[in-house]
Amino acid sequence: MVMISKLIFGPIRPGIEALRPVLYRMAYAWCHDPALADDLVQETLSKAWVRRAQLREEAALKAWVVAIMNHCWLDHLRSRRDFDDVDDLQDEIESGSDTPEVCCNREQVVACVRAAVARLPLGQRQVLTLVDLEEFSYTEVAGILNIPVGTVMSRLSRARAGLKNMLDTATQKPATQTLLRRVK
Amino acid sequence: MKPYFSDEALNAFVDGEFDVAESEVIIARMRDDPDLAQRVGTLRSLQSMVRLAYAEPPVSRGWVGRTVPRRRIMQRCAFGCLILLAGLSSGWGLRSLESKTETVAFTEPVPVKSGYQTVSLAREADPNRIMLHLDSSAPDRMEAALDRAEQLLDEAEREGRVMQIEIVANSHGINLMRAGVSPHAARMARMTQRHANLQWVACSQTIARFTGEGQHVELLPVARAAPTAIGEIVTRLQQGWTYVRV
Repeated sequence: MVMISKLIFGPIRPGIEALRPVLYRMAYAWCHDPALADDLVQETLSKAWVRRAQLREEAALKAWVVAIMNHCWLDHLRSRRDFDDVDDLQDEIESGSDTPEVCCNREQVVACVRAAVARLPLGQRQVLTLVDLEEFSYTEVAGILNIPVGTVMSRLSRARAGLKNMLDTATQKPATQTLLRRVK
Repeated sequence: MKPYFSDEALNAFVDGEFDVAESEVIIARMRDDPDLAQRVGTLRSLQSMVRLAYAEPPVSRGWVGRTVPRRRIMQRCAFGCLILLAGLSSGWGLRSLESKTETVAFTEPVPVKSGYQTVSLAREADPNRIMLHLDSSAPDRMEAALDRAEQLLDEAEREGRVMQIEIVANSHGINLMRAGVSPHAARMARMTQRHANLQWVACSQTIARFTGEGQHVELLPVARAAPTAIGEIVTRLQQGWTYVRV
């Protein structure tokens, strides 16, 4: 079958398609919405496919595709009416999802961390997930997001500090609650 | 005085951005400085928590359907067409073949070879090993199965050939082999006694299904159960048996 497909359609590039799970995880960590993440991945893959000739080094494929996804993500945010300036948004505005405290009552660390990450400002969230989930180097992240390495470092540092704060307050609260709970 | 490491530097250390020499400086410091060690530990645990949180992102519903690039769709369409074509042509081939076997088996069972040959999966079909497949409890179909088995066996006996017959029953055809249900129990016992090479095989899956529906299924002593009728048929075909659906 593969032989036939190669005959008919020319050689296929398995690399881009194989990145789908990686991209999906990253997109989900950015937007915390499965359907939107799916759309982002789809758009990214089709753009990557169209522009595949522009990729010079095969080794940089992942960073290149993720950079495309970053553009798609920013385009998506711009197209939404409620934000005027994405650049402002990157550093300041927190997303409006539930606070981690609320989620932690559901006793799941995973949900708790996700909620905390979702509340990070967008720029910090992206840097954090790129570094932690895919282990991109700081220079790669700087290239993907098109920002200086110094900004990568400061955003990452602030992201982790913010995450720690949110998780600390979140883990303390249920502890006091269990102390007060009546045991029969 | 201890040198102070900024948060950014520690983050870079945790993320493996430092080279070996720089890392060693921090590692050496961490031994003497519990505060520093704790800061590094916190960053590491944050990192692993984030990894854990996204190890299994929830899957979106439209994952398979919408997300296939156009090129892939083209490929799949082409494969689909190929498979469809292959299926249609083989189905057509089998159809004409089956009608041939029907007539051949009824009218002149001696030169069956030409008629049966292609149904067999083995290279050389063996006209002396025949499987009769029964999947209905209609009295005439049951009767036909027994008649044909007997006919083939008698024929072979007269000509001095060794004929092996297996009657495979599934679905409602299994009633033929159920003790207390089969209308032909006595005849089947007689046939088995006369012909050592006659076997009765019932499908276990059918038995399980009937049992699930609350019926008690007990096979006649002459019959044995195979895991599945289809499995049995395929195995026999591969061994060179000839398949006839009654």
